[in-house]
Amino acid sequence: MSERDHLVVRQASKRYGATTVLDRVDLSIRRGELVTLLGPSGCGKTTLLRLIAGLALPDTGSVSIAGRDVTRVPPHKRNVGVVFQNYALFPHLSVAGNVAFGLNVRRRPKAEVRAAVEKALALVHLGHLAERPISALSGGQQQRVALARALAVEPDVLLFDEALSALDRKLREEMQGEMRRMLRDIDATAIFVTHDQDEALTMSDRVAVMNGGRIEQLAEPRLIYERPASLFTLNFVGLSTRIPGTVVSEDNGTVEVDTPVGRLVATGGFIPGSRVIVATRPEHLRPATGDEGNAVNGRVRSIVFQGSRSLVEVGAGGETLLAELPGQEAAHLAPDAEIRLGWPVRETFAFPAPELSTPELAA
Amino acid sequence: MINRLATLFAWAMAIGAALFLLAPLIVIAAASFSPTPVFDLPVDGASLRWYTRIGQMDGFWPALSLSLQLAAFSTLLALVLGTLAAIAIAQGRLPGAEAIGTFLVSPLMMPGLVLGIALLQYFRMVGFNAAWSALLLAHLVVTLPYVARTMIAGLSRFDFTLVEAARTLGCTYPGAILKVMVPALAPSFLTAGLFSFLASFDNYPVSIFLTDVRTKTLPIKMLQYIEEAPDPTLAALSTCILAATVVLLIASDRLVGLHRMAGTGQ
Ligand SMILES: Nc1ncnc2c1ncn2[C@@H]1O[C@H](COP(=O)(O)OP(=O)(O)OP(=O)(O)O)[C@@H](O)[C@H]1O
Ligand SMILES: [Mg+2]
Repeated sequence: MSERDHLVVRQASKRYGATTVLDRVDLSIRRGELVTLLGPSGCGKTTLLRLIAGLALPDTGSVSIAGRDVTRVPPHKRNVGVVFQNYALFPHLSVAGNVAFGLNVRRRPKAEVRAAVEKALALVHLGHLAERPISALSGGQQQRVALARALAVEPDVLLFDEALSALDRKLREEMQGEMRRMLRDIDATAIFVTHDQDEALTMSDRVAVMNGGRIEQLAEPRLIYERPASLFTLNFVGLSTRIPGTVVSEDNGTVEVDTPVGRLVATGGFIPGSRVIVATRPEHLRPATGDEGNAVNGRVRSIVFQGSRSLVEVGAGGETLLAELPGQEAAHLAPDAEIRLGWPVRETFAFPAPELSTPELAA
Repeated sequence: MINRLATLFAWAMAIGAALFLLAPLIVIAAASFSPTPVFDLPVDGASLRWYTRIGQMDGFWPALSLSLQLAAFSTLLALVLGTLAAIAIAQGRLPGAEAIGTFLVSPLMMPGLVLGIALLQYFRMVGFNAAWSALLLAHLVVTLPYVARTMIAGLSRFDFTLVEAARTLGCTYPGAILKVMVPALAPSFLTAGLFSFLASFDNYPVSIFLTDVRTKTLPIKMLQYIEEAPDPTLAALSTCILAATVVLLIASDRLVGLHRMAGTGQ
């Protein structure tokens, strides 16, 4: 077994009735890695997590954990820890009782259970609340108890289903950092499910962007943002400018594209005549000085002040360009002002245009 | 100002209502200590003589035994059947689950008299005339709605992901049900059992149609006494029943908390 393969999901599919919820998903995670499943509601994140935990069975494909094929193994024999979205803490047990649950089920000696519970509660900084009833905890504290309960049995893999989404924004951001540190300390292998892109980008070593039951891209957060592999990833993570056009020439990994805002150059390989979407991230757009690869004339539509930076929307040829400018560069701009924006070719991507938006080419 | 007036008014109403509800009970309890054979307040000296007379009332022990048996058995049966039905309904995969739930609970809304006559007719029609069994069935009809209603409410608040959590922590499926679902529902079981037991124990209108000369439940017997010989023995008996009920409620409260039973807690 290689280091890469602590958790391996291979070609897993799952259907409920006529809908295919997971479509031949491949996922492979190293020991000690934190991976996020990011995707819109209904894309199959929870279902994939349930397959890994054994709470649902795949129709085809396999799951293996720590070198053992567990595809048909029931959840209680998988040694997987799950932190549920609503925490699913047992209301009839105290904090310590919840954390001890998995160990008691395993019939560990009393002294060992007590030591493990103390250790797990200390890790989540809740040692002082061990005897509290669950109903007397705040949301953040319940979240930690759920984590401690999952950690106490020393699972091979930890699964988090939107574990932070019930917390308010400030607490959520605190917990993101804290949880990342805790999981690092114990060298846990974990999968987070979320539809919050900030959470995905800050917490994980790699992000798997899911769409319609498939993993569209599995890469480090920086790459997901800077080098999106598909239009879906580009749209789902971060802001962008997107302009449709037709390829006129291709040369060594770059294409020239005719668009409503003029001719643009982008990286990508397409045969001339292809319908594409040309895209770039807002921080690459600057008031043009003349030596950028791409430049467009337009008129300022709106300016959204965001502290150290401003988000400027520029209209050009019926399309919208989105530029994120540092404070002083945006300070002298006013709505309706003429502006020329430029950006480098290497930050310009071309994606195949979705078929539905180009019905005139269907024939 | 208006607010304070409203609060005062609400308090006054609440206290008034409580007094109005409790006054008869207090009067009965006081009268049971009366030294004279009329329902009197014990102003000059209390006496326990009526309490010693309870056991000597004609046919008291068989009636008490019958009522306790009916209450215990019908509650037990109702708990099993009602819980199973509630699980099926709460899991929600049953077509028309809502309608079935409403149907199960509907005898609660039916006047006891109607139920009694209907059952009498029905048992006659099918030729069923064993008084004890007929009474048990009738009491099951009376108690099942209490259990079904409480268990449906309890289960609809039960979070089935608790069972999944227990399974990922190492429980088998039946183990998870036993370790997580049953304790989480303990307050519902207790409430359901308590209401069901009391509903059966003091049922009069349904039982009256199904008793025969030898098989009479306690409430029926008590009404008979009061017609024949109205002395404070009945007050003493009522006070005993009242005290037993209060003890039962306090014990349940200690066990799970009345607010959880009444469903007013979180
Ligand atoms: N038990 C089930 N029976 C039928 N359909 C199901 C079942 N579980 C999930 N689905 C369907 O599968 C799809 C994916 O569900 P899933 O819960 O995995 O989505 P998700 O990505 O976790 O979404 P969310 O972000 O809203 O939690 C949904 O369309 C859902 O309706
Ligand atoms: Mg989900």
